[in-house]
Amino acid sequence: MRNFKHNPTATSLFVLPAILTFSAVVTYPLISTLLKSFYEWDGITEGTFIGFDNFTRLFRDDLFYTSLRNGIIFAVILTVFQLGLGTIMALTIINSKTFGRNALRRAYFIPVVLSVTVVCQLWLSMYNPGYGLFNKLFEFAGLSYRQDWLSSMGVTSIIAVTMVASWQSMGYQMALIYAGAKSIPEHFYEAAKIDGATTLQTHMKITIPLLAETYKICLIFCINAGLNAFAHMQIMTKGGPGTSTYSLTYMMTRSAFRLDEYGYGCAIAVTLVLQCLFVTLLINRFIARERLTY
Amino acid sequence: MNILSKAGGVLFRTFLWVYFLISLYPLTYLLFFSLKNNDEIFYTNPLGFPLHLRIENYVQAITKHDIALYFKNSLIVSIVSILFVLALSLMFSYAAARLEWRLKGATYAYVLLGLFIPTQVILIPLAVLMRDVGIANSYSALIVPYVAFNLSFSSLIFYGFFRTIPLEIEESAYMDGASIYRIFLRIMLPLVKPAVATVTIFAFLSVWNEFPLALILITDNAHKTLPIGLLSFSGQFSTEWGPMGAAMVISSIPMILLYLVMGDQVEKALTVGSAVKG
Repeated sequence: MRNFKHNPTATSLFVLPAILTFSAVVTYPLISTLLKSFYEWDGITEGTFIGFDNFTRLFRDDLFYTSLRNGIIFAVILTVFQLGLGTIMALTIINSKTFGRNALRRAYFIPVVLSVTVVCQLWLSMYNPGYGLFNKLFEFAGLSYRQDWLSSMGVTSIIAVTMVASWQSMGYQMALIYAGAKSIPEHFYEAAKIDGATTLQTHMKITIPLLAETYKICLIFCINAGLNAFAHMQIMTKGGPGTSTYSLTYMMTRSAFRLDEYGYGCAIAVTLVLQCLFVTLLINRFIARERLTY
Repeated sequence: MNILSKAGGVLFRTFLWVYFLISLYPLTYLLFFSLKNNDEIFYTNPLGFPLHLRIENYVQAITKHDIALYFKNSLIVSIVSILFVLALSLMFSYAAARLEWRLKGATYAYVLLGLFIPTQVILIPLAVLMRDVGIANSYSALIVPYVAFNLSFSSLIFYGFFRTIPLEIEESAYMDGASIYRIFLRIMLPLVKPAVATVTIFAFLSVWNEFPLALILITDNAHKTLPIGLLSFSGQFSTEWGPMGAAMVISSIPMILLYLVMGDQVEKALTVGSAVKG
């Protein structure tokens, strides 16, 4: 009776295309990255095994620490900006009494669907020191203050870069929190209503604590996005001025594809995965350890 | 107290609508400057509505430059990738969810691992692999990785859907003499249509906007997709903002339309997979 479910021919026909594609494009390169991080490799020959030399060199490389610092700045700003605003926006638009909630929700989310190139180039034009929107706004307000946003040394340029990412994906975090908050059953709020709690009190005491699971996911997203940052640097600053907006991924692609140090690039990639893994485990360990079921 | 909270309420509402402007104004600014010339953008009217609608910026972006080519490339890569993602992951997750074979659980878990692997990590060997296989700088160089990267998410969604379909449906079809392939095509596929919509939207957004892989794997102009093509565009036009703005608007139209028409489904498609990423 159930025999038709045991059909090796059909199974291989259904399973193999996916497995082969996945193995060739994801698993093989992943293992390759791990192995080649112990090689001096130019991407053409087999390379020579050099043990941990790539890693010891990396930990002595100043650029590594600049990139790491920028990754952390990126992650912190993304987290604070997106989770802060995302929470406020999500809990506001979930309230059916909010005027224009659908318009607000659509407007907040729309940058998410744009390509990172469009967003970065748009912000490049807004940051333009001579003709950009920001300096024009200062001019309009009658202020003499001008800022060359992306060319300042120090942390100004990395913050300017991070703001673009924060602006673009705030709506995404909002949508995650909104979806989480919508799934909280009504009866959790009944007691609060009877006691005459204000909206703010209700959210602080009920909604936000119940959203621990959602916040865990948002946090993993934000921190990994920060540590993995690449496109924004590539498009807007090319790591500059100097090396002040380097990120680990940017450093990795530059090592491999500009300097032909493929092995060193792989070592950076391995360091990057370990970081992301470490952060994810840490978050899983400390936040929302018990799964809530309603 | 009452006055205070009322004032607070007004302040809060103002904040909501100010951020509404912060979200939308840059896009409006882009739309406006795509219809202006440099003189207007830089000096006479940087912020407001264009004085003359300079449609010629759009004509110039399409006729004199490669925006139409990039658009076509993006369209081809997206459509072919989506078709393969759907075919491969539907077959795989049907087998994983409904058929009986050894190592089923392990194989499914193996494919799901893809959810946790950042693209950048495999970028270097992948680029070398594509070059060695000889498909660098072709549509396949993008389509193959895009299919592989979307398999994990789409298999997860389809697997969940296939599991909810009652066994009796398949059994009665089998009793009626239908083959396993017929059951899959005629009975199971129509039942997972809502999931197909979710996966298609998700894959479309991720492929259309994909940046790092396309940047590394495609260097010849003839195969560039929009996110990469726009980069070279800004180089050519660094002095002419109008046509550059027009190119950016053109490349965003499909996504904006998709979001305006099916907003709720887009938000759902993008957030539904998140629950497992933790």
